Amino acid sequence: MATANVAALGTTRKMLGFSRRVVEFEDATVADLLRQLNTLDGRTLYDNLVCDGKLRGDFAVVVNGLTLKADQLDKPLQGGEEVVTMAILRHLHGG
Amino acid sequence: MANAHAFPLEGKWIPSTCGMCLHGCGIKVYVQDGVALKIEGDETNPDNLGKLCPKGNAGISRLYDPARVRKPLKRTNPVKGPGVDPKWVEISWDEAYEITARELGKVRRDDPRKLLCAIGDFQRILLWGWPAAFGSPNFFTSLGNYCGGSYHPVNGSVDGSFAAVNDYDLCNYWIQIGSGDGFSSHLHLSGSAKRMADARMRGMRVVSLDPRCSIASAKADEWIPTLPGTDRAFVLGMAHVLIHELKRYDRQFLRDRTNAPYLVKDDGYLLRSADGKALAWDRKLGDARPWDEVAADSMALEGTFTVDGVRVRTGFQVWADLLADHTPERMSEVSTVPAETIRRIAKEFVEAAQIGATIEIQGKTYPFRPSALNYYRGSQSHANGLFDNLTYKMINMLVGNIDVPGGHLGVPLDHRGFFVHPGEDGMLKPEPHQLHPAPPFKYPPDSTHLMEWFPIGFDAGQLNTETLLDPKKFGLNYEPEAVLLYHSNPLWNLPETDKVEKIMAKMKFVVAIDIQHTESTQWADVFLPAHTFLESTLLNCLEPPAVTGHSLRQPVVEPVGDTRDAYDILTELAERIGFRDDWNDVLNMVCGYTAQPKYLLDPEKRYTTDEFWDQYARSVYGDDKGLEWFKVHGHSVRYRTPEETYMPYGDLRIPFYFEFIQRTGDDMRRKFTEVGLQDWPLDNYKPLPFWKNSQVIDDGKAGFEYFAITFKESLHTFADTMVMPWLSEVSEKDTTHGGVLINPVTARKLGLKTGDRIRLTSPAGSIEGNAQVVEGIHPQVVGVSNTLTRYVVTNERAKQRGTHFNRLLTGSMRYTDSATGGLESTARVRVERISA
Repeated sequence: MATANVAALGTTRKMLGFSRRVVEFEDATVADLLRQLNTLDGRTLYDNLVCDGKLRGDFAVVVNGLTLKADQLDKPLQGGEEVVTMAILRHLHGG
Repeated sequence: MANAHAFPLEGKWIPSTCGMCLHGCGIKVYVQDGVALKIEGDETNPDNLGKLCPKGNAGISRLYDPARVRKPLKRTNPVKGPGVDPKWVEISWDEAYEITARELGKVRRDDPRKLLCAIGDFQRILLWGWPAAFGSPNFFTSLGNYCGGSYHPVNGSVDGSFAAVNDYDLCNYWIQIGSGDGFSSHLHLSGSAKRMADARMRGMRVVSLDPRCSIASAKADEWIPTLPGTDRAFVLGMAHVLIHELKRYDRQFLRDRTNAPYLVKDDGYLLRSADGKALAWDRKLGDARPWDEVAADSMALEGTFTVDGVRVRTGFQVWADLLADHTPERMSEVSTVPAETIRRIAKEFVEAAQIGATIEIQGKTYPFRPSALNYYRGSQSHANGLFDNLTYKMINMLVGNIDVPGGHLGVPLDHRGFFVHPGEDGMLKPEPHQLHPAPPFKYPPDSTHLMEWFPIGFDAGQLNTETLLDPKKFGLNYEPEAVLLYHSNPLWNLPETDKVEKIMAKMKFVVAIDIQHTESTQWADVFLPAHTFLESTLLNCLEPPAVTGHSLRQPVVEPVGDTRDAYDILTELAERIGFRDDWNDVLNMVCGYTAQPKYLLDPEKRYTTDEFWDQYARSVYGDDKGLEWFKVHGHSVRYRTPEETYMPYGDLRIPFYFEFIQRTGDDMRRKFTEVGLQDWPLDNYKPLPFWKNSQVIDDGKAGFEYFAITFKESLHTFADTMVMPWLSEVSEKDTTHGGVLINPVTARKLGLKTGDRIRLTSPAGSIEGNAQVVEGIHPQVVGVSNTLTRYVVTNERAKQRGTHFNRLLTGSMRYTDSATGGLESTARVRVERISA
């Protein structure tokens, strides 16, 4: 079994009920990993973040420092990845 | 620091970073017996090269200002209004936090959007995410928008930069338009002034276009007076001369490094292949081909062609055709600059560019274009600011100088450098939003400044003056009830002060985090006193034009009074209100820790100020360069390398024809139509700039004969420093800041002399001041110094004798760029004498 370190930020942290977890998987893609992560509403993170097979525009998934494009959820995982999930930060204001 | 400037007392020099403006020069502070006695520039920091402006030198007077708020305060007078005494009483920090957390907590539980936030501490951009963690999208200030409303989005759209400035080291011919770069303001003034002086000593020529004989104009080789908001006309006239009269422009640059050769249909969209690739005209084949299948020497830059019965022109040709009637004579009528001057400057500009020349730097050969046009607030903070900024970029593109030695260089937002992502058609991806992602369209909008309606714009804070007094008109389905002020003064910086006062009167709770009382804090219920830059900690990195790295701001003395670090205050409030976990996660995103998960802040942990900045330092520089390293060394600042400075995006093309702007406008038009808002203005979403009158120009027809402008100089940062006695005393001695500047010709016409009391009336409001008759201002323009214009001043030694210019401005969409949200900083006025 391989593992990935999952860090859930903000909204996704609240969906999952945890902020950090080591997740085991076998022959998995990022989408598979998201399906493995059960959310408190009885569904999975995949159900919450993905629409028509693509990552919703208001969420981001970062794998080893690279932010995935919406259609890159089929990226295979090798093991040892750092995966961060989060809602997009829509505003940062000052002046 | 052993070689620091001699100072005749026993003590020590402590390295730190200036906080008197946004940029953050390296400083050293002489401290004896726990008292800061002197500040000088840190000569080891290549950013400011040991130089320091008057503001930095005066920093100690802020630290020890007797009028500074030293303990938390609670308002006891329930009556609020301008000039109304809040009847402050001192309270404990615990009580201040308890009141604030209770009141803001109620707002957050009800609807977090009901909080308006005005945050003005530029050096703490990382803390600008606090409203997002709270849940409020609202930006209740227009401070950044006055300068950058259109400027930043266009820089980001052209080359992924945030700002821009000419190449001090190699430029030979510098046109300065409405900017103080190198003379009085903008990017890292202290170092830039040194670099400008060095460039002048080696012979660089400076031509300054400005309505007023500014510091830059006074020191330039040539000052060309013009009317405010018409600088673009002058430059469009120059472009006409280069393209249609001299026929001299950098064809190779435009063909190979921009999308100028891509073919454009008459509907404004690019001609594309079946698989979506932009097409270019292959002169050898006599046919349109995908851009990446046409050899460079065969790609047409100019021309009109027919492809499958469809008329197409190259992007360059479209602009050339658009400029055909922008003759110097016509542009002279707009700007008042003589046509022969426009022609002469255009010729000097292109000749100095040395089109075709190259230069070798560290073994690599670059194009060498030592001629560039530089610009900032005065020339582009207007209701057609998008067109202004595009024009200035494109005149530089005509001579091929964008991001090459000697030319006009992009400046990144911070140490992470340019936003470089491949886009479509071999182009650099436009990045108009760099502080946050482009907000998706939403109706009803969430934000009171309507950020959801400006997908390529900045944050148009001035629109608060419209939306908050009539929320339903804009579809807002809630009304704000509270304000958080953090070193920001919206009562001074927003236009139409009367309206802002009405907005503040509607608020149930106002909390202020600041150092001193201001026009805005007099409306507060609780005042939380913050540290000055000499008592607080942060790592600073912001828009460095020549260098990269961070410098440490660190406490050089014990805090004065019972004051606290702003990070601590905001974190304590987040903890007490109940969103410290979200606050840490927002900081995780803003700090870029999502790309470096080992540095992610634990949402369950409260980090001290030192712990927070230590984490940040290690995330950027590695675990052996934490906060302790910076405390010893002061900074990690180094010169940017040629690779970081010149064409950092490699072979990617930059836009000359801005199709994506038109596409965005058409998309917005569809969305507005879908929600039944067909009359929302979208007229500035154009792919190319041209001349059209703004509302300010048209106001002249309604009897507002004169143009009113405001200005500042190196002595001051926005309104912030005007209440400092050391600085206001210097300003007092300069007649430039003594009143409303009027040209002698105009004064004679109006029967005015210096000292006469006069009234300026714009369509939005009126102000009064004393006439100051000076030669150095355009006869159709009156100038109001921003320097002595505060009307709430707690230190009586800081005399004020100016007049509050912003009351002449308006935040309405008629004076706002419909594409970027940039606001108009000029007003048309009537001038009348009140008394001699």
